[in-house]
Amino acid sequence: MLKISIAAILLLAGAVPARAQGALSVQGLGFPPGQVSTRAEGSGGSTADFDPLSSINPAAIASVGIKSLFLQYAPEFRRVTAGSGTATTTTARFPMFGAVIPMGGTWTAGFSASTFLDRSFETRSERQEVVGAPDDIVTVTERLRVLGAINDLRLAVSWAGSPKLRLGGGAHLFTGGNRLTLDQLYSDSLRNTNSTQSTLVSYTGFAGSVGVSFHPSRVIGFALSARKGGELTASSGDTARATGNIPDRISAGITYEGITGATLSGRVSRETWSSLEDLSGSAGAFDGWDFSVGAEASGPRILQRIVTLRAGARRRTLPFGFNGDEVSETAFMGGFGLPLARNRATLDFAAQRASRSASGGVDERGIILSFGLRVSP
Amino acid sequence: MKAWLNSMRLLAAVSSVLILGSCTEKLDSSGVCAVLCPPLGGAVQNITIDAVVLDTAVPALSGPGAETRLLLATRGDTLDARIILRFDSLPSTYREGTDTAKVITLVDSAVLRLRLDTLTIKGGIPVTIEAYDVDTTANDTSTAAVLALFRPDRLIASLTYTRSGLRDTIDYPLPNAHVLAKAQSGQRLRIGLRAVSLGISQVSFFAEESGLPTRLRFRVSADTVVAPFTITPFSKTPTDDPIARENLGDYTIFARRPPEGSPVDLQVGGIPARRSVFRFDIPSSIIDSSTIIRATLLLTQIPNPLLDPTDTVFVLPQLSLAGSAVTDPAKAAQILTGLGIDTVKVRPGDSGPVLIELANAFPAWKQLKPSETPRVIVLRSRDEGVSPLQARFYSLEAAPGLRPRLRISFTNEVPLGLP
Repeated sequence: MLKISIAAILLLAGAVPARAQGALSVQGLGFPPGQVSTRAEGSGGSTADFDPLSSINPAAIASVGIKSLFLQYAPEFRRVTAGSGTATTTTARFPMFGAVIPMGGTWTAGFSASTFLDRSFETRSERQEVVGAPDDIVTVTERLRVLGAINDLRLAVSWAGSPKLRLGGGAHLFTGGNRLTLDQLYSDSLRNTNSTQSTLVSYTGFAGSVGVSFHPSRVIGFALSARKGGELTASSGDTARATGNIPDRISAGITYEGITGATLSGRVSRETWSSLEDLSGSAGAFDGWDFSVGAEASGPRILQRIVTLRAGARRRTLPFGFNGDEVSETAFMGGFGLPLARNRATLDFAAQRASRSASGGVDERGIILSFGLRVSP
Repeated sequence: MKAWLNSMRLLAAVSSVLILGSCTEKLDSSGVCAVLCPPLGGAVQNITIDAVVLDTAVPALSGPGAETRLLLATRGDTLDARIILRFDSLPSTYREGTDTAKVITLVDSAVLRLRLDTLTIKGGIPVTIEAYDVDTTANDTSTAAVLALFRPDRLIASLTYTRSGLRDTIDYPLPNAHVLAKAQSGQRLRIGLRAVSLGISQVSFFAEESGLPTRLRFRVSADTVVAPFTITPFSKTPTDDPIARENLGDYTIFARRPPEGSPVDLQVGGIPARRSVFRFDIPSSIIDSSTIIRATLLLTQIPNPLLDPTDTVFVLPQLSLAGSAVTDPAKAAQILTGLGIDTVKVRPGDSGPVLIELANAFPAWKQLKPSETPRVIVLRSRDEGVSPLQARFYSLEAAPGLRPRLRISFTNEVPLGLP
């Protein structure tokens, strides 16, 4: 019969309160890039409800007018400061690609795949542990790497019965996963065995969206869109681990084109992120507002092409908190659009400087570059 | 306009650099881990348990002659190890020109080409190696019968070597007439080698099992066009045991050797070589749902001062893959696989605790059902069959404080997944 003679349970040396995941913006299920195109991003996201390349308003795809393929690349250079420590990271994202196809004079169909929540980070920490004899203290290095995202695959149709009114609807499949790898590395590898744990958490959910775009005159336009989320299930293998709901969203936008060569725009959106509370762990999920304003103007000619200049600002609440408090983000953007190949392609660029903050003396600065390419084959 | 173009060029250049720079992700946020890193693995738990349910010492080799080295030693009253080489199939004819069955009438330059493991040499004084004719019709697996043949009237050669003469290859000359007589008569040539020295002298030669066997070489013609014969050890007996027959081409016998330890003690190495077998019963909760960081077999050594007490026995832990159908520990101790860990150096004369690391066995044990593949570790000497040194340990028969135990350091697996 087995007899446990000594059971020594040892301590976490130097333990600190730690409930987050390496950065403010990747709390919970991760960072929402916004699902807006580079073009809309250049004006703060304020034109997202009118933008056919953004996965926001299904009615907007009718405005593209021509068969289009588009792709976006948006690396983020992030600097996080917490107490006396700082960390700089680089995250490469391809947050959106898709296609829009006009079908006859009034109908347009579109498909897009966009990053809904990006959860990519890596942390590494060390602590001392007693392993074996009571005087045998070894250093444990724990390295956690999380890669993955929840993506939004949208199939949308839009009807443009008149130049003033466009209506649209979309069906969304939310899918993706997070690959988590935890390495525990012990000093003195001759006597100690390192361990690696890895798991994949998959997410699946559905949602539907509707939208309208109304232009009562040449100088002003209104847009309204909404998304109703269904259940989102997190599973490992065949086992469902938790469920929540895709956040509902409602947003409204306005554009003013009364100034020759310029467009002013504004947008407000509310998203019920708290429906993901059961999936977000201790970070907590918060319903959030998203406000943005921006302007777009015709710039100089380069090689006989008119460059469009854009600028904007945005303030929003990130979905997941830190230490139970909300994390807010303020961003300023600028960019340009350059028509190519006799207007059969457009290269858009936007640069964004985002500041995120929360209680607890943690600050985060991010510079997001966004490159968008649209081609009409 | 020109300034604008220059600005755009600069912007394009900066953008290109940033794009290229962002192609490689850098996600490590270690710098802010003091505040932002998640709680991960739990504390390491250390427990010491009486997990050994069976321990025993068993023969290391499957029988005489299975060793990879042949020990030749004379160490006064402590050790007298001798080597037997069997050449049971000598040729009686050879080929010369078109004559393929020319009868051997001449033997010249007869030598035993011995391959010496120079790392095992002990003693710096000259040693005389004597060769005896040990062919007999007596029971040829009987050590006593063979030892009785090391007598003056059987002596066929003798040669003294200084320490510098003990090189990695030795050509030991044999009397040509003796080899010729054996070849012509169709008799077996069985040679016993014995070391004679005024002090300690110990060497070992590579055995047939090592792939570098001793070879008997001799010429049968003065014509150098005729190639010399090169014959490797070969035994025709015992006829009813092919494995033993294969092993007995060359083997070591002992005229004197240190007394064996107590039958209740655990032994590793020695002559004849022994292995120690441990069977474990470990709580499944630890094996199945924990991450093993370190597992240490705690042994208490018994001093063995008889032979080179301050020299080193290299103890090698190995995993037995014998199924539950193998009930004989000696057989289970032959079905082994490495654990990928280093040997433990033990001085035979020492006493006290000896730690054997076994963590590498746990991944295999996690995959195997103990009812099908018992959790067995075997300790063997790295130089088994080569070195006469033996390390001894207390077994389960000893007092409680001296028995083998298992100390395990582990953490519970971290529930990864949702934030």
